[in-house]
Parts: sequence; structure tokens; C-alpha cells
Amino acid sequence: MKIDDDTGVGPGRGSPPRTPRWVKVFGIIAILLVLLFVVSLLAGGSHGPGRHTPSGDAGRHTPPSGVTDNGVQQP
Amino acid sequence: MTMTPRLRNLALTAHVTSSVGWFGAVAGFLALAVTGLTSQDAQMVRAAYLAMELTAWFVIVPLALASLVTGLVQSLGTTWGLFRHYWVLVKLVVTIFATIVLLMQTQPISYMAGVAAETTLSSADLREARISLVAHAGGGLVVLLVPAILSVYKPRGRTRYGRRKQHESIRSSGDTAHVEGEPATNA
Repeated sequence: MKIDDDTGVGPGRGSPPRTPRWVKVFGIIAILLVLLFVVSLLAGGSHGPGRHTPSGDAGRHTPPSGVTDNGVQQP
Repeated sequence: MTMTPRLRNLALTAHVTSSVGWFGAVAGFLALAVTGLTSQDAQMVRAAYLAMELTAWFVIVPLALASLVTGLVQSLGTTWGLFRHYWVLVKLVVTIFATIVLLMQTQPISYMAGVAAETTLSSADLREARISLVAHAGGGLVVLLVPAILSVYKPRGRTRYGRRKQHESIRSSGDTAHVEGEPATNA
């Protein structure tokens, strides 16, 4: 007879099986990452995809300071 | 509804292919991102960011969505279920998270490609954005390792819902002495 220790059947039948340790570890890591993300937001930084792009307009690009494609220096 | 063995194998093949393909595509994307950040050759930099946009939209996004959908089909169409086992649940959460981050990243990827197409980027231009692309690609690879590892090892652990379903199944079979084992491995 194969005992599946997930079911709680067997020794200690009255007590439900506990959450596996790896799930708890994963959950702790996930919570820490979320907290880190929240702290970074509260610290004033934006983590959205728009923080490196011109605000509100992903279609039109403001060229960085430098040369254009035909070699003309931007004023 | 449980799938037939033939259909299950087909769904499994689709899921493994799309999931591993997603991982490989992100690895290639990372190589392009590093090239775009570090190369001193202007043509190479431009090519890298243009290739990154194409790779993201036509390879990575489709594979990510395929991985998510086929994973749902796999879990719902077999006795594993979607919420019965912790490893399946964690895989689902991680895959959804990775897909959301990927879709959010398409905007800066397209922006960089647009800038690269119109101008010649110096090493100092948009450095933070370029580093961010490398960081997200690298982080994405690490995150995608989690579902891969879970799929192979399938660590034990049923959720409360899974245990309830198993007890119901045992009671309905009328055999409390026989304990149901894990479903047949399908990956």
C-alpha cells in the first residue's frame, strides 16, 4: 500500500499535513521581492516601463544628444 | 475533462516546446541586449536593438502566451488540476508574473529600437534604459528557471483544495484503505 503523505492519512491522522517547506521558502522570497519593489516605489523611483521613455508618448521618439543618422550634430 | 493519452502527449509537447523555446529566446535576447549596451560599433548597436524588437514581438511574446495557454490546458485536462498541487500553482503564478513583466517591457524595447533606427547611439545615450533591458532579460532567465525546475522535480505537496478533492475521490470510490497515488507523470 502506497502512502501518499499529502493526504494526511496514516500516522497523525487527526492533524492536516503542513504546507511543504519549499512552498514557505518560495512564499517568503516572493513577499520580500514585493516589499523591495514597494520600497523602491516609495523611495521616489518609478519602476514602470515609462521611466526610460518620453512621458505619455511611446510613438514619437526624442533623439538623445548625439549625431543623427546622416552625421549632422544636433544643436 | 481528462484528455486522452494521445491528446495529452500533444498538449505536453506543445507546452514543453513553447516553454523551453521561451527560455531560449530570452537567452538570445539577453545576448543582443548586452551587445547593444557594450558594443562600440554603431552599426552593431543599431542592429542589436532592431533585432531585439523583432525577437520580442515575434518570438518571445508568442512563446510566452503559448506556454501559459498550453500549461493551463495541461493542468485542466489532466488529473493534476490547476489548484491541487503546489508545484502547479507556483508554476502558474510565476508564468503569469513573467508574462506580465514581458508585456510591460515591450514598450521600452520598441522605444529603444525606434531611437536606434533614427539616430546613432553613443555609449552614454540612454544608458539606464539599456542597462534595464539587460537586467530584465537576465532576471527573466532566472525567473523562467523556476517553472522548468518545478516541472522536472514536481515537489510534493497538495493544497487544501487538492486534499479535499482527493478525500472526495477516496470516499466516492468507497475504499478508505487504498490511498490514491500521484497522477501519472506527464512531463
